[in-house]
Amino acid sequence: MFEATQNVMLKPTETWREALLDTRVMDLFFTVHRKIREDSDMAQDSLQCLAQLASMHGPVFPDESAQVSYLAHLVEGLLSMINGIEIEDSEAMGISNIISNLITMFPRTCLTALPTDLFTSFINCLTLLTCSFGRSAALEEVLDKDDMVYMEAYDKLLESWLTLVQDEEHFPRGCFVQPAIQVFNSYIQCHLAAPDGTRNLSVNGISSHEEEEINELQEDDRELFCDQLSSIGMLGRVAADHCIPLLTNLLEDRVTRLHGQLQRTQQHLMATSDPESMDRKVLDDLYEDIHWLILVSGYVLADDSQGETPLIPSEVMEFSIKHSTEVDINTTLQILGSPGEKASSIPGCNRTDSVIRLLSAVLRTSEVESRATRASLTGLLSPQMGKDIMWFLRRWAKTYLLVDEKLYEQVSIPLITAFGADTEGAQWIVGYLLEKVINNLSVWSSEPGLANDTVELLVTLVEKRERANIVVQCEGWWSLAKQFASRSPPLHLLSSPVQRTLMKALVLGGFAHMDSDAKQQYWAEVLHPLQQRFLNLINQENFAQISQEEAVKQEIIATLEALCGIAEATQIDNVVQLFSFLMDFLSSCIGLMEVYSNTPETINLIIEVFVEVAHKQICYLGEAKCMKLYEACLTLLQVYAKNNQCRKRSDATAEEDQYQDLLLIMELLTNLLSKEFIDFSDTDEVFRNQDQGTPASSRPVSAADVVLYGVNIVLPLMSQDLLKFPSLCNQYYKLITFICEIFPEKIPQLPEELFKSLMFSLELGMTSMSSEVSQLCLEALSPLAEQCAKNQEKDTPLFIATRHFLKLVFDMLVLQKHNTEMTVAAGEALYTLVCLHQAEYSELVENLLSSQRDAVIYQRLADAFNKLTASSTPPTMDRKQKVAFLKSLEEFVSNVGGLLCVK
Amino acid sequence: MSDPDLDFTTGESGASATYPMQCSALRKNGYVVLKGRPCKIVEMSTSKTGKHGHAKVNMVGIDIFTNKKHEDMCPSTHNMDVPSIKRIDYQLVNINEGYMTLMSDNGEIREDLKVPESEVGKEIETKFEAGDEFMVTVIAAMGEECAIATKVLTSK
Repeated sequence: MFEATQNVMLKPTETWREALLDTRVMDLFFTVHRKIREDSDMAQDSLQCLAQLASMHGPVFPDESAQVSYLAHLVEGLLSMINGIEIEDSEAMGISNIISNLITMFPRTCLTALPTDLFTSFINCLTLLTCSFGRSAALEEVLDKDDMVYMEAYDKLLESWLTLVQDEEHFPRGCFVQPAIQVFNSYIQCHLAAPDGTRNLSVNGISSHEEEEINELQEDDRELFCDQLSSIGMLGRVAADHCIPLLTNLLEDRVTRLHGQLQRTQQHLMATSDPESMDRKVLDDLYEDIHWLILVSGYVLADDSQGETPLIPSEVMEFSIKHSTEVDINTTLQILGSPGEKASSIPGCNRTDSVIRLLSAVLRTSEVESRATRASLTGLLSPQMGKDIMWFLRRWAKTYLLVDEKLYEQVSIPLITAFGADTEGAQWIVGYLLEKVINNLSVWSSEPGLANDTVELLVTLVEKRERANIVVQCEGWWSLAKQFASRSPPLHLLSSPVQRTLMKALVLGGFAHMDSDAKQQYWAEVLHPLQQRFLNLINQENFAQISQEEAVKQEIIATLEALCGIAEATQIDNVVQLFSFLMDFLSSCIGLMEVYSNTPETINLIIEVFVEVAHKQICYLGEAKCMKLYEACLTLLQVYAKNNQCRKRSDATAEEDQYQDLLLIMELLTNLLSKEFIDFSDTDEVFRNQDQGTPASSRPVSAADVVLYGVNIVLPLMSQDLLKFPSLCNQYYKLITFICEIFPEKIPQLPEELFKSLMFSLELGMTSMSSEVSQLCLEALSPLAEQCAKNQEKDTPLFIATRHFLKLVFDMLVLQKHNTEMTVAAGEALYTLVCLHQAEYSELVENLLSSQRDAVIYQRLADAFNKLTASSTPPTMDRKQKVAFLKSLEEFVSNVGGLLCVK
Repeated sequence: MSDPDLDFTTGESGASATYPMQCSALRKNGYVVLKGRPCKIVEMSTSKTGKHGHAKVNMVGIDIFTNKKHEDMCPSTHNMDVPSIKRIDYQLVNINEGYMTLMSDNGEIREDLKVPESEVGKEIETKFEAGDEFMVTVIAAMGEECAIATKVLTSK
């Protein structure tokens, strides 16, 4: 806590030059630390001083040579300090901060200008320190300490390594390879079980093995330790020659052992009647080893990507190229293609490409897992390992599968041969992954996390057209599609989010390249059954009577879930088809609203379908399509309102149900409004062929109408009790601020009651909600005041309301404590309100001044107010003046803010 | 019925009162039988014992008739019973000695349901005395039935 707030980089002015560049000053700080380091509190302070000195930059240095000699002196001091002592726990963080600051703040040219010996000693010292902190951090984890000082210090050092290694080209070639090997090895060692590693070993060498309860909120290691893993992955790439083969060997070894252990366990199970007597420790140790090996491998081989196509890291590519002449491609492919066999049993297994071999090792792990499930040993397996495998393969597939030569300056022949476009290897692996996905979905339906990672892999396989083209050639894909469409087991056992994502994947796959017959057949098997079954059901004459039958309700729910999944599959190039398909359903859904008006869980899901469609599609829709969607949403809201009018429920979940409905409705309205901000549609460009002749001029419904109508429904239902749900409260205020910003002209036209509750909501939000909400409300005020100014009508309700808000904002800024980030929002609001109500503002100031008894305070206040408005008399709605006002307001608040709040 | 595992059936249409479902396929807002009572699931989360353990599902449900809270935890591969839930709207015709006279959509009359001792019950009595025309929603599950909501008919 102390460090975080205090870590401000030191940038002194020139006047400090003489003092701070005097080496004796720095020596003094080192000496002080040496003397007081036994006292943990004081040691932190003195290390903090040193960390500040290590961050020094700016005009204090006359030239680079001064900076270099300063740095040299600092590094010398640091090394002699560290080498002479055994580091105390309380020093770890401080020392890491010094190192991190100097690596971040000093230019690379300064670091490389250090005398070679000094630089090498520094790097060696950093290496040893990192390894040692890493071991201490592992111990902290075993002891489950609350205060993880070494973990934090280790994180900081790994981060510094990442900074150094990313700038590798500035440093002597290969200078980081040995350090990288050492840090990498020690990381692996800390994460492997004995005898290879030291995981779970406490100081006296006793291993502890406790099983704690882990809930779903706890992050997976791959996220929890993603910073550490990124650094280790990067170091692994720097020393790829060492690290990639090491990972492969370790993983192949563990997989062989896992295979053997599973077999022994199976025999043991057959011989015993009491399966509970099994000791899972050996298996769990193997799972944990494999878990970390796969995570590290994933981080070494590929980067995480958001959106864009991730590239194969250049170090990995170079590594593969460098060894490609020693590699026998056929053997490599043979090892890749036979995940069921032990790699070392294949002749010539020493002449394989290591990058492919590492993937093969993961596939072997996957294969052992699959075989165990077929042998009914699922209960012995680790779902966590299953997740790791899916995560790795997804990350790998995004980067390596169908690798595109055009994106690289040079490519590795083995990689291109194995995974390039139009290769047997790529086809084989797609087939293999698909089979794995299908197996997982049937075996692991009960593990939500694993099932989710599995469908995400499936989405990755089909979301890019090139990959999808291969996927749809696989038989497994078609049977998966058919199976899901028929809602037969085991896919319907999957949790609803997983089923939605599966639906999304199946729809995405439908846009792959197929000949038109195949395409027609595909849709006939995926989407049409959904539509057909739904229509058959709701068009039955007695649908209303049978609607409460369990089977009917389940069919309806499954359909609605599938619609959400279909909406999720929307992309710019498929929105035409998906929109028309979904629109047909939306109108039927409105009929369902009537039939299920007394069944809250169904109503809730219907609204969710609308939310999803609006969320995923509205940004692509041109005007005519948008109208259709607006109309549908409007009807939905009308029916919802009608059904809930005069309805009274008293069951325990009535409030919760209503809360969920309202939250969804507000999300829907916000999504509809988002069209005003994000719009990718090119005046119906994507729909041009379809929509000919629709006159755009006859706009039957506008976004404003729908949204205001929706607000009309939502507002009366909102109560102060409901606003206690934080997510609902935020969504509500987000929505009304949006409305004030986008349609200020509609506000004066609102029905009286609605207008009043809107104003009351704003006041409530400003005065008695979180600061986030209060800021939103303040942001809503300026457009309202501007609207009044534009109309120039006095005594309208809005005009009167803004007068009231003037006083509120005035009091808030002048009289109450508020946090500084609010000053800007409040200031903008105040300024526009002052422009609108100048007389009232002067009155407020007068009143405040006249209530002051103390002459000194009176004078200070009076001066401050004069200064505040001096820049803009008379104030007008002009941007320049507003900016000037905001600036003087800042001064005003710091000048007299404290004066009045105290009382 | 001596066999406790045997599903008993409600009087009408032979539909079973409950059916089994794998834990993982249950959903929030859905229904489940907890401690022998039909409950609406208001909270659902998973947990595991140890990093390599298998998922368990933790559920909090509210008894749809008594509003009592029940909690349960079970391995996510297990099946749980899900109650068949029916909601039917009737028009209230009369109240006779604490019993409602209800008319269904197709004109059938039933007089076997009491005015519940809940807020909705009071609501029903007040509205009835005021001469309002209104519907009563009756929820039925596992052989039990109860009025849970009212809706005044708006003339439109």
